[in-house]
Amino acid sequence: MLVTRVGGMGGPAALMMAMAGVGHIIIAHGKTMISADLNRQLLGNEALLGKPRAEHFAEYLRSMNRFVEIEAIDHEPDDREALELARRCDLVVSCPPNFEERLRLNAASVAAGIPFIDAAQWGISGTLMVLQSPRTACLECIYPTPPPFEKLFPVVGAISSAIGSLAALEAIKVLSGTGDPLWGKMLSYDGYRGIPTVVSLTRNPDCRCCQGAAETAG
Amino acid sequence: MRIHIVLTGRADPGGDQFPGQLELPEDSHVSDAVAAIKDSLPEGESLPKSCLLAVAGRHLGTLDQHENRLLADGQELLLIAPMAGG
Repeated sequence: MLVTRVGGMGGPAALMMAMAGVGHIIIAHGKTMISADLNRQLLGNEALLGKPRAEHFAEYLRSMNRFVEIEAIDHEPDDREALELARRCDLVVSCPPNFEERLRLNAASVAAGIPFIDAAQWGISGTLMVLQSPRTACLECIYPTPPPFEKLFPVVGAISSAIGSLAALEAIKVLSGTGDPLWGKMLSYDGYRGIPTVVSLTRNPDCRCCQGAAETAG
Repeated sequence: MRIHIVLTGRADPGGDQFPGQLELPEDSHVSDAVAAIKDSLPEGESLPKSCLLAVAGRHLGTLDQHENRLLADGQELLLIAPMAGG
């Protein structure tokens, strides 16, 4: 499976999946560790400041389970690489800090016909979606126009870890056929009020991204 | 009729002044509720166009582009401001 990126949410997601024994995990994360990210990046620490993240994060994951194969990519995949990676995977866990990357990973997952789990947070709230078009909406059905990029946003590590762990739980459920994954739903946790909400997501029959996938399946 | 309003997701300007519920005429639609919510926000503040709308747990689209369903008394209108923090 592919996890990108492996910071505040993708890190705990990858960690929980590695510890659970998900056999082959590809992680993608560019750039070097910065101090501002240490409030949430469980796979990093003070000693990593200024160093590339991906390989160090991979080494940490390997140290947690010697039976799991971890592959590190030291950058964020472009359209072509995202599709190549998705075709090698059974599932994608999407945790980037912007919609551009999320929609790219969504498109790759749709084209590869694999499930797509999207985890996001802001402040002390978070959202989680489990999608696989055409059985469910895809991310572009929900956000046909990407919301604007927000370079700086508040984040408390506790919500990142919580949503990342729930993303791992959904991934494990999907991969193992256990339980009832949140197919086609958004779990929204409002940390300000302590209220979880589940919304059933609606496919857009005219979606530019997954319309073709539906026609192929149908 | 009375509609319960919940704003969640990314915090937004005006969120503190958000109405917890709206009194609307019978046969009001989602667009009527959205218009009333917009009117309640402080001058110059707005919700993001890509804010998701859901009624009774069913996603209807974004604030900008959504199914204009007829509302029923006591229903909950949920607005989820988009978030992409990683």
